Amino acid sequence: MTTTTVKPSSFARGETQPIIDLRDVRLNLRSAAGEVNILRGINLAVAQGDMVSVVGPSGAGKSTLMMLVAGLETASSGQVTVAGRDLSVMGEDALAAFRRDHVGIVFQAFRLIPTMSAMENVAIPLELAGEEDAFDKARESLGLVGLAERVHHYPDQLSGGEQQRVAIARAFVGKPKLLLADEPTGNLDRATGEDIVELLFDLRARHGTTLVLITHDEGLAQRCDRMVRMADGRIVEETIAESSRKSA
Amino acid sequence: MTQLTLALALARRELRGSLKDFRVFLACLALGVAAIAGVGSVSDAMHTGISRDARQLLGGDLSIRMTHRTMPSEARAMLDAAGRVSEAVTMRAMARPSLGDRRTLVELKAVDGTYPLVGSVSLDPAMPLADALAERDGTHGTIIDPSLARRLGVSIGDKLRIGEHDFEIRAEIVKEPDRTIRFATFGPRVMITAGGLAETGLVTEGSLVNYHYRIAFPPGTDAGAWSQKFDEAFPTGGWRIRGIDNAAPGFDRFIGRVTQFLTLVGLTALLVGGVGIANAVRGFLDRRTGTIATLKCLGAPGDLIFAVYLAQVMILASVGVLIGAAIGAVAPPLTAYLLAGLFPVNLPLGLYWKPILIAALFGYVTTLAFAVWPLGRAREVRAAQLFRALIVPPDGLPRPGYIALTAVAAAVLAVMAFIATDDAKLAGFFIAGALGVLLIFGGGTSLLMRLLRRLPSPRHPGLRLAIANLHRPGSATPSVILSLGLGLTVLVTVAQVQTNMAHQITQQIPKQAPSYFFIDIQPHQVEPFTKLVEAVAGVEKLERTPMVRGRIVRIAGKPVEQVKPDKDIAWAVNGDRGLTYSARMPDGAKVVAGEWWPEDYAGPPLISFDANVARGLGIGIGDTITLNVLGREITATIGNLRHIDWATLGMNFVFVFAPGTLEAAPHSVISAVYAEPGAAEEAVQRAVTDAFPNVSAIRVKDALDNANRILDAVSMAVRTTASVTLLAGIFVLAGAVATGQHRRIHDAVILKVLGAARWRVVFSYLAEYALLGMLTAVVAGLVGTVISRFIVTELMRSEFVISPNAIVLTAVISLICTIGLGLFGTWKALGLKAAPLLRNE
Repeated sequence: MTTTTVKPSSFARGETQPIIDLRDVRLNLRSAAGEVNILRGINLAVAQGDMVSVVGPSGAGKSTLMMLVAGLETASSGQVTVAGRDLSVMGEDALAAFRRDHVGIVFQAFRLIPTMSAMENVAIPLELAGEEDAFDKARESLGLVGLAERVHHYPDQLSGGEQQRVAIARAFVGKPKLLLADEPTGNLDRATGEDIVELLFDLRARHGTTLVLITHDEGLAQRCDRMVRMADGRIVEETIAESSRKSA
Repeated sequence: MTQLTLALALARRELRGSLKDFRVFLACLALGVAAIAGVGSVSDAMHTGISRDARQLLGGDLSIRMTHRTMPSEARAMLDAAGRVSEAVTMRAMARPSLGDRRTLVELKAVDGTYPLVGSVSLDPAMPLADALAERDGTHGTIIDPSLARRLGVSIGDKLRIGEHDFEIRAEIVKEPDRTIRFATFGPRVMITAGGLAETGLVTEGSLVNYHYRIAFPPGTDAGAWSQKFDEAFPTGGWRIRGIDNAAPGFDRFIGRVTQFLTLVGLTALLVGGVGIANAVRGFLDRRTGTIATLKCLGAPGDLIFAVYLAQVMILASVGVLIGAAIGAVAPPLTAYLLAGLFPVNLPLGLYWKPILIAALFGYVTTLAFAVWPLGRAREVRAAQLFRALIVPPDGLPRPGYIALTAVAAAVLAVMAFIATDDAKLAGFFIAGALGVLLIFGGGTSLLMRLLRRLPSPRHPGLRLAIANLHRPGSATPSVILSLGLGLTVLVTVAQVQTNMAHQITQQIPKQAPSYFFIDIQPHQVEPFTKLVEAVAGVEKLERTPMVRGRIVRIAGKPVEQVKPDKDIAWAVNGDRGLTYSARMPDGAKVVAGEWWPEDYAGPPLISFDANVARGLGIGIGDTITLNVLGREITATIGNLRHIDWATLGMNFVFVFAPGTLEAAPHSVISAVYAEPGAAEEAVQRAVTDAFPNVSAIRVKDALDNANRILDAVSMAVRTTASVTLLAGIFVLAGAVATGQHRRIHDAVILKVLGAARWRVVFSYLAEYALLGMLTAVVAGLVGTVISRFIVTELMRSEFVISPNAIVLTAVISLICTIGLGLFGTWKALGLKAAPLLRNE
């Protein structure tokens, strides 16, 4: 197994308050074949406004890590603190409210609700938060992703790239502190994927959102402040980008 | 935005394009609601029709009936002082053409000049009633039912002999306003005047004659108060008074019973449909797992998810309920059209809100009872699955709150069944039966599936796939066997019970029943009658017994109006009953409690009573029964109880008096004559009715034929309505086939990729559906036979004969349904090319 020195994160350098703080997080699941160790002692701190990419082979535990951060999975042991909240003590509905208020998620498969128009899809997080002007904000958000003319279209009337734009608009509409992106270009052709990445980075910069990006694309990963490499349920390497190092 | 508004808003958006997922849901719900709403609406329409025409059906504002005797003059004077009065006399009599040999039993009605007080008699050719019945040159006129003209081959102008008088037929009856609403009559109607009746010589002491007095009060009279006053003035009158609120009691009871039965059929359809509802909701939610996970990921709490999908289900339920209610609402005019002329009242058109609202409530509660469980499970969808390639619906039990909600909905449904049927015993049987059948079907199916799993795997891949499809987890086998099986069980049960009843009526009863009952034999005619009958060749046996009619007025000292008898024996306390007396125990009588009295008994009035009726009245040996016989009240003590087998059609009486009480009362004699079928039977009837014009002959075979006809009609009606349950089962089957289509397409593609020719795929499907059909038929056949055997042997106390036809029919229907619908539903799978599907996978 490759063992690499894990370089200190920006939080460890004491620069900012961490928005993500994972301490010795483990996740074991039972299956027919016996107990499977999905995560084996993860320590990770991400500062507010950081862009962190997570890379690694399939089965390394990248998606599980993201699920833990989103409060969609519960750790078997260790502490998961996100946006100052200890997720391990929160109930299902509290976690849902937490996601609604603090986390935006972009999926590889877009995950739009097929029976709702683009605007309705984007408005859902705001509606769930009880905001009165959900549709105005959704329209505005769709405008920012270049879909002002397609607000009433349904997912199956949109191209893959357009669907992902809607998903990005939905993820940003509530101005979350944290954006989790799981292979956002995985279902798109190269050119469209590049457009989507530019859009994602641009919006993140505008809103100052912390970004955790799962990708197989090393080039894309390197555009982030930090790159975390996972293998076999562990973080095996953490790299700080040149630009970040200089600014530090 | 409140949670509720948000739930409704999200539900509304989610519903777009969902209707096609709910076709089976809508069909099941609409069918059940339509059945309940339709039955209730038709029933309400009939009751409304009867109420509207009540005065006409009753023949006035009040009707008073007496048996054997006319009203005493003081009472009649009170009647005359109260308003316009009409008197009619009814009895059974023999009629025959003056020139000709045919004869038949008729229902004779003699009316006075004021008849009818309400409405009018329509005749063909049209003429005033008075003219039609008037005496001309010493000959009275008569009007007859058209069926009598056909039966005797007589026409207008011909003479009809009744008793000792030849009447001239002047017209046929088109409409008799106060014709009693009955489905079985002893014969066609013949109407004459009171004067004409006197000429017949039929009315003698003790003959079975009913006197009807109808009163039309001046406007503003309180009929109820007058009736009470009348009763108080003549406490031992012994008459039966009916007001317009009880214009057609028998028909009301009949409608009540039919409504109860059909409501239960509707409920069964709704319950079978409930399986379809649950399947449809589960299928819909399975397809929405991704959306639910997305909503959860975006921050929707579990309660909101439940509310969003419950709102969708209830909105769709409203559509189903509306469709069902609309169909139910048009049931009265449709029934009026289809059954025109069968009912004596016209069904008033209009909307009957109460049954429609009740049916709607049934629809909603059934939906809740069957949908809460899958909805409760849906909220457990794990949002984390969005990060995985495979999103699977959750399994296992929902949270306790949802299980409790399901139980509450089921309990409400049970309570509503009690209220709707208004018969705790019947509703109890229904609920216990429904639970029992669910358990039997559930247990049976699980056993069958376990058996299939353990069978050695067939070598044929198609057959192997077919069998695996039947027992794999999540297969449609349990829901299809339950729903389609339930419908088929009802059919098997009805068919087996009908076969057994028909066997009784056509085979068993005639073996032991008499050929004829002769009624109204006067005591002085007994000897010549006996001699005459015994002289006819082929007569095997003659039984005779005195008979007088009486009414129960008190049971164990309590006025009969305050006694609530069991519904199955209510007939014994309603109206007049035949009474007889005997020193010796009648042949074949079975005393089940107490002792038969000594032949020389000379003590206070003592009776031998029907044990079953005693049970239904909650009385026994030593209790008293007070009867009004010819205006005199007789209180007798129950000395013993007899078990009576009414199915023998022998001369059985609920009441048999000990010697010393009834002998002095004017009475007639009734005789049962057993003769060889054919010529001997004919000869007896001819000899008796020729020699004794006042004696009427009731041919048992005619009564049995009539009963068989009624049984046929009832069975047909029952089977037709039971088909509603079968239809619900077919909907569920269609739903199950549609739900499994995606998997079947997948299977077909894989089989094709692996080199299977199309016929192999067809064989596999065919084998699966044929096996499913056979399994369903086996379970339905077994359960149906067990139920019908119980009904026949335990409730009807008769010998059970299995009907192979019913079972074969069940298997055929089952196979047609499963193979037909199955292949129709999956035909698409066969035509699809493999490549596009594999690319999408």
